Amino acid sequence: MALLRHGRVGSCHRVFSETGFGECAARDVIVTLRSFLEDQTSPTPHREDVGIRLRPDDDPALLANNLDAVSLIEVEFPKYTDGRGYSIAQLLRRRYGYSGELRAVGQILRDQLLLMKRSGFDAVAFDHPDTEGVYAEAVGELSEVYQAAADGSISIFLRRRTDLSPGRLT
Amino acid sequence: MSSERPKLGPDIPKAITGWNSRTGRVIYLTADRNWSESLSEACVMTGDEAQEALRFASTDQVRVSDPYFMQVTQDGLISGRETLRETIRARGPTNHPMFGKQGGDL
Amino acid sequence: MYRYDEFDEGLVRQRARQFRGQVERRLAGELPEEHFKPLRLQNGVYLQLHAYMLRVAIPYGQLDGAKLRGLAEIADRYDKRYGHFTTRQNIQFNWIRLEDMPEVLDRLADFGMHAIQTSGNCIRNVTSDPFAGAGADEVEDPRPWCEIIRQWSTFHPEFSHLPRKFKIAVSGGGHDRAAIRVHDIGLDLKRNSEGEIGFEVICGGGLGRTPHVGVTVREWISKPDLLSYLEAIMRVYNRHGRRDNKYKARIKILVNELGEAGFRKLVEEEFAAQHESEKVVLPQTEINRIEAYFAPPVFDAALPTSEIFDAARKTDKSLDRWARHNVRPHKIPGYASILVSLKPLGAPPGDATSDQMRAIADIADRYAGGDIRVAHEQDLVLTHVRLDDVPSVFAALQAAGLATANGGLITDIIACPGLDYCNLANARSISVANSIQEAFSDPNLEDLIGRLHLNISGCINACGHHHVGHIGILGVDKKGEEFYQVLFGGRADERAAIGEIAGPGLRHEDIAPALKRVVERYLVLRSSPEETFIDTLERLGQAPFREALYGAS
Ligand code: HEM
Ligand code: SF4
Repeated sequence: MALLRHGRVGSCHRVFSETGFGECAARDVIVTLRSFLEDQTSPTPHREDVGIRLRPDDDPALLANNLDAVSLIEVEFPKYTDGRGYSIAQLLRRRYGYSGELRAVGQILRDQLLLMKRSGFDAVAFDHPDTEGVYAEAVGELSEVYQAAADGSISIFLRRRTDLSPGRLT
Repeated sequence: MSSERPKLGPDIPKAITGWNSRTGRVIYLTADRNWSESLSEACVMTGDEAQEALRFASTDQVRVSDPYFMQVTQDGLISGRETLRETIRARGPTNHPMFGKQGGDL
Repeated sequence: MYRYDEFDEGLVRQRARQFRGQVERRLAGELPEEHFKPLRLQNGVYLQLHAYMLRVAIPYGQLDGAKLRGLAEIADRYDKRYGHFTTRQNIQFNWIRLEDMPEVLDRLADFGMHAIQTSGNCIRNVTSDPFAGAGADEVEDPRPWCEIIRQWSTFHPEFSHLPRKFKIAVSGGGHDRAAIRVHDIGLDLKRNSEGEIGFEVICGGGLGRTPHVGVTVREWISKPDLLSYLEAIMRVYNRHGRRDNKYKARIKILVNELGEAGFRKLVEEEFAAQHESEKVVLPQTEINRIEAYFAPPVFDAALPTSEIFDAARKTDKSLDRWARHNVRPHKIPGYASILVSLKPLGAPPGDATSDQMRAIADIADRYAGGDIRVAHEQDLVLTHVRLDDVPSVFAALQAAGLATANGGLITDIIACPGLDYCNLANARSISVANSIQEAFSDPNLEDLIGRLHLNISGCINACGHHHVGHIGILGVDKKGEEFYQVLFGGRADERAAIGEIAGPGLRHEDIAPALKRVVERYLVLRSSPEETFIDTLERLGQAPFREALYGAS
């Protein structure tokens, strides 16, 4: 499975661990929300470089106070039609101010990539013979947006103001 | 709401029908694994042969969308509880004599 | 009406291009049907019994002459010279080839039209009152807010894969002619105690297999807060709505499972938790810009009555009868709104031929300032017509076969396409509608009966709103045979109620005679000619009508 960061093929050596950190260094694994929260209340919590995988029914609010320890959050899309991950991403980025890597994993199809980018994902696990090309094409399909979102785009509602004309913005 | 069709036992004679992916027109699987717009050319099958044909049909995505079993007689005439539905699919809407295949629109 | 600017138009064109790519990938075998289906649905493309169907958006039912002519052109070039207007104020074309779809969308874009979000698990076409801007009872014209909601909900990145479809309706605060209480969200323009205009927010209504009347989540929300409040509702739904069972996935189920108070609490908490930076920013200049498009036309200072019209009514009985049912009051004296019935005897309810579309477009341009609306009753409305012009409009409609005088009467039936077209249907709807129309075709009888809403759906999905008809009819399948259940007592207005099933289903051919008995019973039981069917039913309960329904059989 290819990993794209900001549209470029990258790699990640971390492995997902259902059972928590075990003997591993934080930066080598990705743990569940539950393992992470348990670890945070343990005597020797991992305070840096933690990777977490959120299931769609996980509540990102539980992370709000410990996000400094986290450098990677994977959000799982068990099925491409399950849209909960988009809300999780918006919350993490816009409400809780998460600025680390936000990665979409699971069943991800080309035609969701734009939504993911807009919702604040900067990385996706996505396979295609021409990953980078397809990504660039897909996220470029609609160039204006009616809503502000986690990607920082400026909404058409605002763009229409004469003082924010396209020329001034770009 | 159900686009799922009733289950048909292995011994019930059946044809495979679906929609031409390109045009949306109703089509039937023929004996030579092609698709025909004419029900009279549909291949009537039972048992494993039918299952195998449906597996084939489900992979033949460029030509057909959503293939499924429809009940027919040995002679390939529409029968069973979905007779009205399949008759409407084969002929056209009952409220307009010229729409659909009944109007000679092919 | 609203005109797309460079932003709106640019997006419509890009969307058409995006969909072209999706279709090409589907037809090249790169995209399996399973993955293509949600994509085509989000662009209004269904696979029906005979062909692909395209549902074109008519945001809040607003058309003008040019758009209606554009739709007629699509019907001529790519379909069979007709289209079907729906209860959600859209239009459906039943015979379009998938391979032609990209071209159709490009052409629609030329008229400022599209099929964006007319199906799929996203926020659908926003609907409204077909008399918006003309009704004397409205607090304010709801259309600017419909347009604002249309824009905000279009390609919303967070709400494009909801648990299920999502329908929003907005009413201007008078009588509810937009059925807002049976929508996922219904908004009603209303003043608060300080006199400021905002919205009552109703949530959790819906029809389908478990019908619900919505509950008020917020008595009043200000205009600047509206979109942020909608985002709060949508997020609660997106995160907590059920995804394990598509029959339980609508927001009405969530509202019901959490209880009204529990649901409200989640929404209010989410709304309160929004940071300033998360709020939807809608500058007042932008509101003003959009509102300006809906400024009322310049009305002549006409007399409140029209001698021309009054004289014509006296001499022409058919005009007089049509005027009684199809000419509606207007807030400006000397004007009227005209209901163009798409329910002639013996035709599919809601269908219009391309010639009729062009005729209506011409009439609207000549007499109604080009303002045409689609009503959720599947009729069209010419919103602003001078009373002096009504006789000419009538004559022109008559010439086009569009002067059926049955607005609001028993033959003005709402019906879904049913088993003649629909892949999900259990039974036919059109032919039942036609048999009922036939049974009540005597104009004297219809006049005697007065207002009666009869709605038909061909299956439990309730596209024909059978739950909220004064009389509802639901097609069911009984061992391969079409049967029809009858419901009594539904209504879609501000006193919205879900009809109750009367008893066992009836055969196709028994429906019309059974309804005749029901209506005859009503005529005997009503306390005065002014007491409508629904009033009598509410006064006496179902029993006498149920008895009549099953009476002679
Ligand atoms: C022709 C193809 C159509 C298909 C496949 C279709 C499918 C559906 C389905 C599956 C539902 C149930 C949704 C649910 O309960 O979650 C539904 C509801 C509905 N549809 Fe359709 N429909 C079609 C045509 C129409 C037409 C022609 C109209 C208007 C006349 C329409 C208007 C509605 C409305 C108003 C509802 C009820 C909304 C609610 O449940 O609250 N649909 N449709
Ligand atoms: S109510 Fe049923 S039969 Fe009618 S259009 Fe909807 S899904 Fe089809």
